[in-house]
Amino acid sequence: MSLTQPPSGARAQPPTVATAGRRAINEDWLATIVGLILVLLVLAGVITDALVP
Amino acid sequence: MSGAITSVDGAPLVTDEAREARPTLTGPLPVVLSIVIVVGLAALVHFLDVNVPTWFPQATWVGSIEFPVYAIVIGLVAGAVLGAFGVREALSAAFRTEFFIKVGLVLLGASINLAVIARAAGPSIVQAIVLISTVFLVTWWFAGRLGLDDKLRAVIAAAVSICGVSAAIAAAGAVEAKREQLAYVASVVIMFALPLIFIEPWLVQVLGLPAPVAGAWIGGNIDTTAAVTAAGSIVGDQALAIAAIVKSTQNAMMGFVAVGLTAWFVYRIERKPGATVGLGALWARFPKFIIGFVIASAAATWFINTAVDPKAAGAMVKVAGTDLRVWFFTLAFVSIGLEFRVGAIREAGVRPLLVFAVATVVNLTVALALASVLFAGFSLT
Repeated sequence: MSLTQPPSGARAQPPTVATAGRRAINEDWLATIVGLILVLLVLAGVITDALVP
Repeated sequence: MSGAITSVDGAPLVTDEAREARPTLTGPLPVVLSIVIVVGLAALVHFLDVNVPTWFPQATWVGSIEFPVYAIVIGLVAGAVLGAFGVREALSAAFRTEFFIKVGLVLLGASINLAVIARAAGPSIVQAIVLISTVFLVTWWFAGRLGLDDKLRAVIAAAVSICGVSAAIAAAGAVEAKREQLAYVASVVIMFALPLIFIEPWLVQVLGLPAPVAGAWIGGNIDTTAAVTAAGSIVGDQALAIAAIVKSTQNAMMGFVAVGLTAWFVYRIERKPGATVGLGALWARFPKFIIGFVIASAAATWFINTAVDPKAAGAMVKVAGTDLRVWFFTLAFVSIGLEFRVGAIREAGVRPLLVFAVATVVNLTVALALASVLFAGFSLT
């Protein structure tokens, strides 16, 4: 890890509204897939209550 | 407003001046540190939730403190500390409130019988249509009376009436709002949602509302899905189930509002010659986690109904629907605190805050009336 000052003239632009929208849509799908995989693993007996603190 | 420092769904929106003034962390370590912070704080919440009541056995009220309270308070404190050291933006990669809450909601689906979702769908849709229309139009009108910019009016009205930050993003895209306007609304949404997380469960107790009405009220009027889930969790599992169904229904309306706003701005406000409005946004803006929520419910319902030992099957489902879900909700509630920025409040200005305040009161009142009528006598069994 390095602690640096960003070079002037090479400023990263903050996300635009369109970027934020795309990010939200992608995150939506990812969350859905992760959630369903976890449900499937539980129903298949792979994740048991002993594994969840 | 130009100097506001905030984020949208965890993505920092900062001014160039602020960027220059602040050192940045580079490399993979900040991401690892960010994950360690969020998971570590969630583990601390779990530890406190389990142990604090045993430390104060005489104070029975301590035992009634639910995990969202610990999570939000700890997240706020940790966010303030990281902000004071100037490293919050650099370490924010894993502060993903929306992601964690959506995974948690899919898992919550596993704990709700599909028949309950089917029965709650009707009143939820009616409530969503009436509530969104009323709150959106009142907010739009009042913001106009105060002379707010049309695009800011649209983003605020969508955020307050539908589902907070997600709706603000959809509306901002539909009306081509400035990113500063979106960033500002996203911050104020959280600012108004935070106190409601604690005030509404208290009001539920004061008013003696039954769980389904309480859930429908919370799901109807608190803006962000994460805050709805936190307030619902504080009231109880039954209220949480209805709150999640009602809020998911409102989320599903987001595409219609986005298309309507696009059409309104194209044809009535900006009057662009030859412009057309596509319906693709209906699907693009449809929250996909709702599909996961229903599939999880259907799978778990089928699993229990066809099991040789339904009791054992129910215990297995509880691992997803309760145990894992609480972990993801804890990660989300910690992230709410970590993402909250006081600076945005100072940048806000009085008029938009006044619009938010009036819209919140209207939302609270109309949602309570609708929930009391539509969910009176609703049974979760």
